[in-house]
Amino acid sequence: MDFSLSEEQLMLKDSVTKFMAANYSPEQRGEIIKKADGAGHWASFAELGWLTVPFSEAAGGFGGNIVDTCVLMEEFGKVLVVEPYWSSIVLAGQLLARSSNAELSQALLPAIMAGESQASFAWLEAQGEFNLSHVSSTAQQDGDDFILNGEKQLVLNAAADFILLPARSSGSVNSEQGISLFKIDARHPALVREEVALMDGQRAVNIRFNDLRVPASDMLTAEGEAYSLIADVVEEALIALCAEAVGAMEYLYKATAEYANTRKQFGTAIGKFQALQHRMVDMFMATELCRSLLIRAQCSVLDDSSDRQKDIAALKSMVGKYGRKVAEEAVQLHGGMGVSNEMPIGHYLKRLMMIDSYFGNAATQRRNFCELSYA
Amino acid sequence: MYAKFSDAELAFQSEVRSFMRDNYTPELDARINHPDTFKEASIEWQKCLDRQGWAAHGWPVEHGGQAWTATQKYIYSTELAAAGAPDVVPMGIKMVAPVLYSYASDEQKQRFLPPTKASDIWWCQGYSEPGAGSDLAALQTKAVRDGDDYLVTGTKIWTTYAQYADWIFCLVRTSNEGKPQQGISFLLIDMKSPGVTVSPIISIDDEHHLNEVSFDNVRVPVSNRIGEENQGWTYAKALLTYERTALSGVGYCKRTLATIREMAAQSHNQAPSLLSSPDFQARLADVEMDVMALEFLELRVLSAIDSGSAPGMESSLLKLKGTEMQQAVQSLQWDVAASFGGVLPAEHGAEALWQSSGNMARRSYMFGRASTIYGGSNEVQRNIIAKFALGL
Repeated sequence: MDFSLSEEQLMLKDSVTKFMAANYSPEQRGEIIKKADGAGHWASFAELGWLTVPFSEAAGGFGGNIVDTCVLMEEFGKVLVVEPYWSSIVLAGQLLARSSNAELSQALLPAIMAGESQASFAWLEAQGEFNLSHVSSTAQQDGDDFILNGEKQLVLNAAADFILLPARSSGSVNSEQGISLFKIDARHPALVREEVALMDGQRAVNIRFNDLRVPASDMLTAEGEAYSLIADVVEEALIALCAEAVGAMEYLYKATAEYANTRKQFGTAIGKFQALQHRMVDMFMATELCRSLLIRAQCSVLDDSSDRQKDIAALKSMVGKYGRKVAEEAVQLHGGMGVSNEMPIGHYLKRLMMIDSYFGNAATQRRNFCELSYA
Repeated sequence: MYAKFSDAELAFQSEVRSFMRDNYTPELDARINHPDTFKEASIEWQKCLDRQGWAAHGWPVEHGGQAWTATQKYIYSTELAAAGAPDVVPMGIKMVAPVLYSYASDEQKQRFLPPTKASDIWWCQGYSEPGAGSDLAALQTKAVRDGDDYLVTGTKIWTTYAQYADWIFCLVRTSNEGKPQQGISFLLIDMKSPGVTVSPIISIDDEHHLNEVSFDNVRVPVSNRIGEENQGWTYAKALLTYERTALSGVGYCKRTLATIREMAAQSHNQAPSLLSSPDFQARLADVEMDVMALEFLELRVLSAIDSGSAPGMESSLLKLKGTEMQQAVQSLQWDVAASFGGVLPAEHGAEALWQSSGNMARRSYMFGRASTIYGGSNEVQRNIIAKFALGL
């Protein structure tokens, strides 16, 4: 048992902290969001080597594991990084890296790691709730090509150059069998795009595709067999997302305590009031509990534990529940400042609400946990 | 970062597991859980652990402890709890002993440590007073110097198992100078001394664990004082930290949750089981997920202690969340038992199984209310965390 970070991981953490201190004040973040070109500090992220972290050395990456990815994501969470690290590197990047189509991944990954190209993963359909196997988009074979039809919602990273898109070539709408994963050009003429600005500063796109033709060589796995690839990558991506949430929660309890120590009412710092102190202690406690589950899930992946899925469901569920709670408390304890859009606090609430919604919110993940535990 | 056990740790785990299986018998369990046989059976169990070298495993090696890693301590306590076996009654081995081996004279160590380890002394703790609970430093029991003795007068309260105790370790006031914390000394008092009176307090589980202990001019040799006069608060504070580290009870929570799952899965008269109800599942899952977090919070603390950091504020976190989870588990346990008629006394016809689990659930739930009060109430823990972790 050892929960400490390696020297390399500490250096990685340090490099992010330093960069963010210089480049990621709430005002600077606001500027990045306003530009809305998806670029942000992406070139610097590439220069600093962060884009290669989760990729194997054989693929030209840093060779990091889930802990390395979480080190980055947690630091990103502290300043609410809006650059599409999670969607482009952790989701789409890992789908490619673990794809059985070596030719395709060798063709695309170098540019991803160099920051020259960005990707996205279109997992969500309108009626799909949070079910990964819910794929109603269709893929019909036509010679060496497939013809895709359907819609996807909330495809993160509107600036992505290409999209990884699950479509069904056989099986019923919720079947794990029959799902194929295609790489499509994000500006393909057969794609109808509707860009959406999300409340957390991210830009997403809803897409419709009518008779979009893709060569079979742009499939990431053998036909109909993409589900397990998707499920594996999503598991680790959830842990990384929760690391971001824990970073945001840490920011919130610290910022709240700091504010309470400076804000004076009734002639004294409000942080001296026991009723408020105890609420801040509960914010701190909730954060440490989520961090404990985060470490548990990381170990579960590294140790290849049979409880992995349960550990991840518990983590995502609790991060959803406690993340929202901590952010709501932060807003309350900041009083009027907490509800002002000019102050950072509310933006953490928005981000934590969005994090909760991805791949199953607190209630859905609790249901998953129950199915895994009591069935 | 990893949590996996090494081969050596797995071997240790199976050693502990088979020891528990062979030695913690259902017969012993029944006697430990019956008030009439609790004391002798507890001593018997602790002596059995001591023969194995495990009763005082947390002590320094030179006093008979084990140089276990955090992982081993975790394995030990998990296996102990999984077997349903109680840990040692804490007042001696876990609470007074760290003060003794840290601050006592060599002579005192020789006199008290071996019999404490062997469970030949039953200790109780004399801290709280009618006027000094969370505000412990307000204690008034006074010790006045008279030659080579102190004369001790005052009242201690909520004293667990004083009715069984041979000795009591006390905080007494030896000076009224300076801050309240400054005039306190740490005294060991023989319970057989003339002037010591123990009166029972029946708790809401209808059992007798607690007592009031009064001292009427009790003569105590100065040689029974630990460390310097008026420095007792410092020693006690160190002890409280150890006490809290022992309080998370995650092993107990896990074992009780397993029992709850088992009971809730049974169905009666063809009715669907409680465990098949989505409402019950959601409640159970909320508690289980919190306990999973608590378990790793404890592992993080243990692992930090291993790498040389002293337990401090983290032990307050563990005490706080641990006792909250113990109560959450007890609350569920009661609901499960109650759903099967376990609230009914035997003569009113509850099935035997549910009647005994109902009794158990009621006792645990009722006495469990004390867990968020003792060892520094959870409100006091929150004050401590606010100050030391959040700088408020």
